[in-house]
Amino acid sequence: METPFTSAAFKPDAAFASAAERFFELLKTVGMPSAAAAGAGRDWSSLAGPLAGQFEQWLKTSQSAGAWFAAANAASPGPAAGFGAAQAGFFGPLPLGAGAAPQQDAQRGWDLVARLAQLQGQLASHWSEIANTAARRFVARLGAAAGGAPTLDNALQLYELWVSCAEESYAATVRRDDFCRLQAELANTSAALLVEQRRHAETLVRAFGLPTRNEVDALYAQLKDLRRQLAELTDAPRTRRAGAQRPAARPAGNPPRKRTRKPRA
Amino acid sequence: MTPFATDAEALFPELARRIANTLARLRQARGVTVGCSAKRAVWNCGKTTLYQYLPLGEAPARAGARPVLICFALVNRPYVLDLQPDRSLVRRLLVAGLSLYLIDWGDPDDADRCLDLEDYIERHLGGCVRHILDSHAGEALDLLGVCQGGVLSLCYTALHRRRVANLVTLTTPVDFHTPDNLLSKWVRGLDTELLMRSGNVPGEVLNGLFLSLMPLRLTQHKYVRLLTGNCDQRAVEDFVRMERWIFDSPPQAAVALAQFLRWFYQENRLVRGTLRIGGRRVDLGEIRQPVLNLYALEDHIVPPAASAAMQRYLGSADYTSCGIDTGHIGMYVSRKAAHEIPARIISWLRDRQ
Repeated sequence: METPFTSAAFKPDAAFASAAERFFELLKTVGMPSAAAAGAGRDWSSLAGPLAGQFEQWLKTSQSAGAWFAAANAASPGPAAGFGAAQAGFFGPLPLGAGAAPQQDAQRGWDLVARLAQLQGQLASHWSEIANTAARRFVARLGAAAGGAPTLDNALQLYELWVSCAEESYAATVRRDDFCRLQAELANTSAALLVEQRRHAETLVRAFGLPTRNEVDALYAQLKDLRRQLAELTDAPRTRRAGAQRPAARPAGNPPRKRTRKPRA
Repeated sequence: MTPFATDAEALFPELARRIANTLARLRQARGVTVGCSAKRAVWNCGKTTLYQYLPLGEAPARAGARPVLICFALVNRPYVLDLQPDRSLVRRLLVAGLSLYLIDWGDPDDADRCLDLEDYIERHLGGCVRHILDSHAGEALDLLGVCQGGVLSLCYTALHRRRVANLVTLTTPVDFHTPDNLLSKWVRGLDTELLMRSGNVPGEVLNGLFLSLMPLRLTQHKYVRLLTGNCDQRAVEDFVRMERWIFDSPPQAAVALAQFLRWFYQENRLVRGTLRIGGRRVDLGEIRQPVLNLYALEDHIVPPAASAAMQRYLGSADYTSCGIDTGHIGMYVSRKAAHEIPARIISWLRDRQ
């Protein structure tokens, strides 16, 4: 799902419109509790269900609430919600004879997709818990906050209360060890999926006789080693000059670096 | 429909009017520009560019003053320090007559995915320092590290004491395992080897991570707040500049990011004294030069305790710290910080020239 926060294009007006729409929605759900209703010791508990539902839906759809593991989604052809269908073609064997992915490789990809779906299900239960706790917290505090004229300023105060309750509930859950473990596993599974996808692509690249990522990385490592050797050679005269100008001892923090150069083949 | 809906509906025309006005202002503000001080590129290494800010005409030239190098984070763009004339740390430092340089790390692409922290600290940051020192025929400069750039600056200073005369750190984490560090809790279980193999991380992913620390406040509440008070066109434009910066994050080189997560967030090597860069141990105790550490008291990304811990590990006898009553981003752009932070830096540096 693309939101104003996930798109490469910057759209503050779209983000504002979306937030304003939700504010509107909240007002429609809660209404403006009048002083008379507040004074009458009104039972607000009927609001908790709809409020929790709206917030849970937002948490589920908002990329911002789980973007760490969205990398796999960004690189895959389908949105998070539609893994199965969208990735069916992706994890099938590659169409080239010699480069075709072995069946067990395709199976590994499918296993990761299934695991990701399972973890997202677990994440959904956390969103549900957060939303319900937030709504209960809000309803409990609403009694004291309700009252006053139905003005926009009062409506905004009500919104502030809702945001505080929602953030408190969110913070309480996302700091727990079980949530942190789940979050990490989602990220790790997404990363594994990306690695798997790239492995398939490498097979294809190899079939065309093109350099693979691993080969390019190996070249980079060689280049880096050469750069280091060059830097040492370039720095040596500089260090000698500085040493000649400053006969004082080398500071304790800069012990001479041991050079371990590999013998040339 | 609740029993109170009728009351709420009475508000809708006023609310709809304010929404329409704000929306129109936001659309009008889409083209706002960011960055205000003139600068020129003087050196580069890969995607990294070293900029020199041009002195302001009205600024008094400070003879003999050491150059100041600003080292920003890899995960955001540095123009937040020079967002607009009345919110610019850079401009205030220039007005004080400082000779100012800034590192822009650029956008690493797939060719850079193997860039590691040694590259960034020794080759890129180190290359910038060497270039500046050569240009000024100096032996040491003043280094100003911001956020993650502060961490890189601490490492560089510990490894190259002679090249840094004074070190200033802004919102810089040192102890990554303080109990209030939610980001650290979240990334503790990441498989960094896998992350490294999965390639560069898009800026949007990290943005999402930061926003998800307080999702409702950071993606909804701040927009609804535009409906309150006197939010004129200028205020909306200020807001849009900030938004542009927040959502304009560069991708992260896979290896450097994985190393940063593992060595700092997971293993807390900086304070444990087990960090090695380019085969050399990074010992904060070797930082003996004056250090000014400024951090935000309401920081949700770098908790104040994570930054305030610095004093315990430095070897410097001249350490000054100050918690500013604002949030992480407020440190760079809030009106209060826009005055207080440059004033503190300027006076602290002046006392140590």
